[in-house]
Amino acid sequence: MFLRLVADSFTRRPKRKLLTMAALALGMAVATAALSVSLDVGDRLAREFRSLGANLLVTPLADSLPLEIGGVDYRPANAGAYLPEADLGKLKTIFWRFNITAFAPILEVPVEAGKDSDSFGKTTLIGTWADRNVPIPDGGTYETGIAKTNPWWHVDGKWFADDGQQCLVGSAFAKQHDLKIADVVRVGSGDGSRAMPLEIVGILSTGGPEDDSIIASIATAQQLAGKPGMYRRLYVSALTKPEDAFARRDPKTMTPADFDRWYCTPYISSIALQISEELKGTDVRVIRRVAEGEGNVLTHVRTLLWLVTFVALLAAALAVGASAAASVIERRTEIGLMKALGAGSGLVGVLLAAEQLLLAFVGGGIGYAIGILFARVVGVRIFGFAPEPKLFVLLIILALAASITLLGSAFPLRKASRYEPAPILRGE
Amino acid sequence: MMADSRMFWRIIRRLITANYGRLVVILLALGAGAAVTAALLNLQIDAKKRLTAEFRALGANVIVTPRAAMAEITGGAAPTTLVQSVFAQLPTESGGKRIPAVAFLYVIGEIAKAGTTHFEPAVIAGADGRGLTEIRPGRRTEVNDTLESDGSSCEVGAKAAAQFKLHPGDSLQLRNQGREAFCQVFAIIATGGAEDTQVFTKLATAQSLANLPGRISLIQLSVTGTPIFVKRFIAVLSERLPDADVHGVKQFTEAEGRIYSRISSLLSATVFLVLLLTSLCVMAGMSNVAIERKNDVGLMKAIGGSVRRVVRLFLAEAILMGIAGGLVGSAIGILVSIWLGKAVFGVAAEPRWIVYPFSVALTVIVSIASAFPLRRLASVRPASVFRGEA
Repeated sequence: MFLRLVADSFTRRPKRKLLTMAALALGMAVATAALSVSLDVGDRLAREFRSLGANLLVTPLADSLPLEIGGVDYRPANAGAYLPEADLGKLKTIFWRFNITAFAPILEVPVEAGKDSDSFGKTTLIGTWADRNVPIPDGGTYETGIAKTNPWWHVDGKWFADDGQQCLVGSAFAKQHDLKIADVVRVGSGDGSRAMPLEIVGILSTGGPEDDSIIASIATAQQLAGKPGMYRRLYVSALTKPEDAFARRDPKTMTPADFDRWYCTPYISSIALQISEELKGTDVRVIRRVAEGEGNVLTHVRTLLWLVTFVALLAAALAVGASAAASVIERRTEIGLMKALGAGSGLVGVLLAAEQLLLAFVGGGIGYAIGILFARVVGVRIFGFAPEPKLFVLLIILALAASITLLGSAFPLRKASRYEPAPILRGE
Repeated sequence: MMADSRMFWRIIRRLITANYGRLVVILLALGAGAAVTAALLNLQIDAKKRLTAEFRALGANVIVTPRAAMAEITGGAAPTTLVQSVFAQLPTESGGKRIPAVAFLYVIGEIAKAGTTHFEPAVIAGADGRGLTEIRPGRRTEVNDTLESDGSSCEVGAKAAAQFKLHPGDSLQLRNQGREAFCQVFAIIATGGAEDTQVFTKLATAQSLANLPGRISLIQLSVTGTPIFVKRFIAVLSERLPDADVHGVKQFTEAEGRIYSRISSLLSATVFLVLLLTSLCVMAGMSNVAIERKNDVGLMKAIGGSVRRVVRLFLAEAILMGIAGGLVGSAIGILVSIWLGKAVFGVAAEPRWIVYPFSVALTVIVSIASAFPLRRLASVRPASVFRGEA
């Protein structure tokens, strides 16, 4: 009988139930879309931020003071310490290895450059990886290179091959000496003993000091410097969690439990520690402007989206609650009739609540589907990736829908339970 | 006519006050919608503006160098430098915001801790201007504030400080090609970049060491604004400084542009989505209320109301409700957005008054649109309504 009453109320006035359900579904769609976007956006944005370039810099621990201006080291090749290139695969064995998105070693050599019989005088040759498959100790390889750590480097033409006698020239350098793609430049280290020809395969523009340099494979730089298998600086790009108050504490003063928590969180500082543990004799420094700029913006955008979500939830709840309340208010005559026929206030309440719950689950489900669809559109449009539909969002949405409708109907229901049937039926 | 319109308003008043429960429900739904609209629109405008300021944590984004090429400091060739007077030609503020700008002169000299004779080559960066900490973001690991104002004080990069075992208060000996200078260390700065290896002195000190009075290597600026604004700023500045090369720091300007457009479209999309769904949700809820008024319509028709008049009555009611809900809700929404701005960026969001009429108008439109199902009530036959059919 109970179920029949519930079923009847749906089949008798389908249009009205449909409207209540539509309000519910739309409200829940707002909630789902906002929740899905907020949950997903942190990771996506963190990835976008890698276009700022590396956030970690690795240099030899025991070293003479680098003579660095802008990003180019002006020390002569025989001064200072070096690090072995062969170790770099170990970067992909640290605890947060999957958070390391790219890395590239750099070796600069002061060279004498020239073309045919002209001499261009002194310049800097930057040796690095263009696109390299790095063997990883636990098997497999990892593809990385400077094009990934420094995505703002634009090459007209193509990148040099890592094993060929090819190079890129900086745009300012090319303009100054009238160099074109397919020209051959001659480079030699200061004493002229190790000269070699390099074919220009591309023109590089970076907006930095590299525009005045020659860029070639690290093997070329090592040969010119007489330092086989060595590099001087390593840029690492890592996905991190923005630093909070906990991350800023000194790990040396932490309790073991706190230290574990710190070590197992992808803070930039804990990743730096893990890298220095793996690459012996290195000093790993956080590039503050990149790490902090990223942290600031990420934290704020995340908070902002959560607040938008919260406001959206609140509005959806109010609108849906109001709609649920309206549907109960208008059913006074029906309630009066039921009571006149002997139904207790409790039974009437349960009956109406069951109806609302049924509405909530169906409407919530439909709303979830619509919301996921909208979140997909936003995700694909903006990041080119759709957020994964998450099951627990569905559970949250259903629980939310149920509690909102019940809460919305509770007040009018309480009032309805106090109705005297007779005046209502008389139409008073 | 007079009596007619008085009657009209009387009916409206009765319609609105007859059922307080319903009145509360309608105002709640409309008010909530209006509040969300006003809050999100206001917050969205404000957040985009604040974001560009947040990006300045990245430091300098515009750089002024000599025209020929980037300063070639190494080698025997004479380094290319700019005249210091270029610095005075830079705008100090734009749109009411201060533009930090610092002129640098780089010298590769030799330094030693005072009292020792062990000299090592190092980059000495003479700096002069406003807002060095904004141009060169980093953390001062050690600092002695009382020394900062001293004319001969200098700041040392973390890596250089470790090399020479320097701490605030120590004296530093600088020399280059027979010229000498002293300075007292007041802070150790860690940036993670090239600055960690440099010694920052007053510009005049570096100029006398390099024997380049009145010359600078480059100027760095940190310009706040949208990517388009920064681009325009660079174009204007290039025109004003024909002897210099003005360009953006590509690493940051490119990424900033990308990230800014992502975030701002994300925000717009989310806000648009929320507004769209919220209006639809409010509309569905309100239509639900409207449909319940069959009885009222039936009664009015039974006593001789024309369909047009009945519809006009209900539309007038909807507009009144929309205005009331919109006025109150939007005001609440703007207050909420001020508070939200404070919660996110630590600065209260500026209320933008254009948002207010917009969200009130939107609420009225939603309210009218929700009354539309009533038009279908034109076909209601009074008799069947009173018999309780349909």
